[in-house]
Amino acid sequence: MYRYDEFDHAMVRQRVEQFRDQVARRMSGELEEDAFKPLRLMNGVYLQLHAYMLRVAIPYGTLSSRQMHQLAHIARKYDRGYGHFTTRQNIQYNWPALEAIPDLLDELAEVEMHAIQTSGNCIRNVTADQYAGAIDGEVEDPRIISEVIRQWSTFHPEFSFLPRKFKIAVSGHANDRAAIRFHDIGIAIKKDSAGAIGYEIHVGGGLGRSPFIAKKIADFVEPQKLLAYLEAVMRVYNQLGRRDNSYKARIKILVHEIGAEEMRARVEAEFAKIDARGTLNLPNEERQRIASYFAPPEFETLTDDCPEFDAKYAEDKAFAQWIKTNIVAHKMDGYAIVNISLKPIGGVPGDATDVQMDRIANIAKAYSLDEIRVTHEQNLVLPHVRKSDLYVVYEALCAADLHTPNLGLISDQIACPGLDYCNLANARSIPVAQEISERFSDLNRQADIGELHIKISGCINACGHHHVGNIGILGVDKKGTEFYQLTLGGTPDENAAIGDITGPAFTADKVVDAVENIVETYMLERKDGEKFLQTYRRVGMAPFKERLYGAE
Amino acid sequence: MEPSKNLIIDGVIAEDIWTYIEDDSALVDGPCVVSLARLKQDFEALQAHPFPLGLVVRAGTKQGEDINDVANMLDALSLIAIDFPVYRNGRGFSTARVLREDYDFKGELRAVGEVLFDQLVFMQRCGFNAYALPENMSPDTYNQAMRMLPGAYQPASDQRRGIIWQRHNQKS
Repeated sequence: MYRYDEFDHAMVRQRVEQFRDQVARRMSGELEEDAFKPLRLMNGVYLQLHAYMLRVAIPYGTLSSRQMHQLAHIARKYDRGYGHFTTRQNIQYNWPALEAIPDLLDELAEVEMHAIQTSGNCIRNVTADQYAGAIDGEVEDPRIISEVIRQWSTFHPEFSFLPRKFKIAVSGHANDRAAIRFHDIGIAIKKDSAGAIGYEIHVGGGLGRSPFIAKKIADFVEPQKLLAYLEAVMRVYNQLGRRDNSYKARIKILVHEIGAEEMRARVEAEFAKIDARGTLNLPNEERQRIASYFAPPEFETLTDDCPEFDAKYAEDKAFAQWIKTNIVAHKMDGYAIVNISLKPIGGVPGDATDVQMDRIANIAKAYSLDEIRVTHEQNLVLPHVRKSDLYVVYEALCAADLHTPNLGLISDQIACPGLDYCNLANARSIPVAQEISERFSDLNRQADIGELHIKISGCINACGHHHVGNIGILGVDKKGTEFYQLTLGGTPDENAAIGDITGPAFTADKVVDAVENIVETYMLERKDGEKFLQTYRRVGMAPFKERLYGAE
Repeated sequence: MEPSKNLIIDGVIAEDIWTYIEDDSALVDGPCVVSLARLKQDFEALQAHPFPLGLVVRAGTKQGEDINDVANMLDALSLIAIDFPVYRNGRGFSTARVLREDYDFKGELRAVGEVLFDQLVFMQRCGFNAYALPENMSPDTYNQAMRMLPGAYQPASDQRRGIIWQRHNQKS
């Protein structure tokens, strides 16, 4: 894992002191809320429906056990004993007191964490594949270049007041788990025929009111040139991005309006100028320095033969089910990637209590080479668990109620905070997710249904990624009543697709019935081994529409 | 646009000697600041005016003014004022860097409009050397603002090299 040097420590400390001064000026009344707003937003502090909310950055979703313990401590000391892991691999606290936030940030800084650029119209926390360094077939660990980007984008003097927020995601694997095609910039790491590393650049993806799949504008940017290339994209966007309407201010609208070819031409022209100066060439020494922190940990030489595992697998059915759903193959023999579902039946997607966070930290320290990951689907990962330790890890997770075997199944939903917390929302999201989870609470039924991703947003801003749900649910307000619009066929991965609207929206008391009707239609239509998405691609909307709305 | 009553140039309080000329008004005897449209349209006449010439670049909303449109006229300018109509509109940060780095503009680069305390150091890093400050901002406050965030990871238009390069003692 990356460790701060004296420069990184100094940057974070400077920021905490600056924010402490700003909060003091706000508390004394010297700063009005209007003037304070842009300052708090640069530090991850939002004003929500009931209270201030603080969003803490978890760069590229990687945590050590020490950091997870500190997040637990903060939940206990400054919040109501829980935190909420988000779709951008961050954690949010819903109830901190404004005057306590500078102290909270000090405690975060102790474990090399911060809330810098987790809000505001700037370059946000960089996200990456949660299986980085653990999955087989990776071109390069995406956290190396993500850390370079984190540093370059931190307090960037030119790009801190962009037309709108700006999100970058990195994937180093053919299977895209970072949804790079739905980010402002998506980076896919590639290797050329000579074995050299380069970066494929996608721009202008996004969800929200106008969803777009990103367009590829560069095939292979050399590592040394990446920062110059990113700076070129940002400069074109900062100059040409619209500022007359916040719904048209994201880079996706610019790319859509001028076209991918024009965007590419403008970026290339800007890049040529920056590159000629050479000031942003990434030194090889720095790349190597950062890469050394992400060198593979000291894996033991093991084999996949593990009689004690096989015995437990045969005798404990619940364990076997958990293995089938929540475990992913590791690149090293004798190791496994463990997914911890934060979607217990009837729970709030992404929430974890202070006790759970402490337990996870302990497990990671003992059994996962001290590493934890956060996924954009709001779950956690223990990336490096020995196969022989899986049963003891499972038992420890059971003791903390963190053993739900539903990864990728219908109850593993993404849901935004919705009207329960958010002042932008039109409708509640969490109660809908909870009701779906209860309706399909039978885990055998879930396993029979198979992989099916439901994503729920409480408004058109799409924080719950409904456009890319296999089943997407969008809450809308019609004359004071909550309605839910359904979409089918979305997916955020390398086969990126935006879902199709089924038809008229459903009321809150009918939406879960509608979801069940969709699932039953799929079960009737599917052929052997087909996942929901495959069936939908083959049969199209018609049978679903007929079941939902009756024959025309 | 009115002359600034609280102007700082190169760190020193200064009197604003410039007059902002409306597009349909005649020039005055003295340093004149004109719009980008006027500069393009009347460049020869403006050059014949025997006083220093300045330009104000508007950030706009849907689109901003493009400094590249007047690239061949920059040598004639002593001042370029870059307007920040609201603090959120940060187009001017890029305009400043393009002027300093692409065109090597050596004249006065002045931030006008809504200039916030916490933006000053970013403006300085992007190449500004003059600021039309809010009237209630004291020189002490200005100095305090300029001491904020002394570290920098990345190079820009100022002298800081960027930590990424500093670590390896390389020139950025």
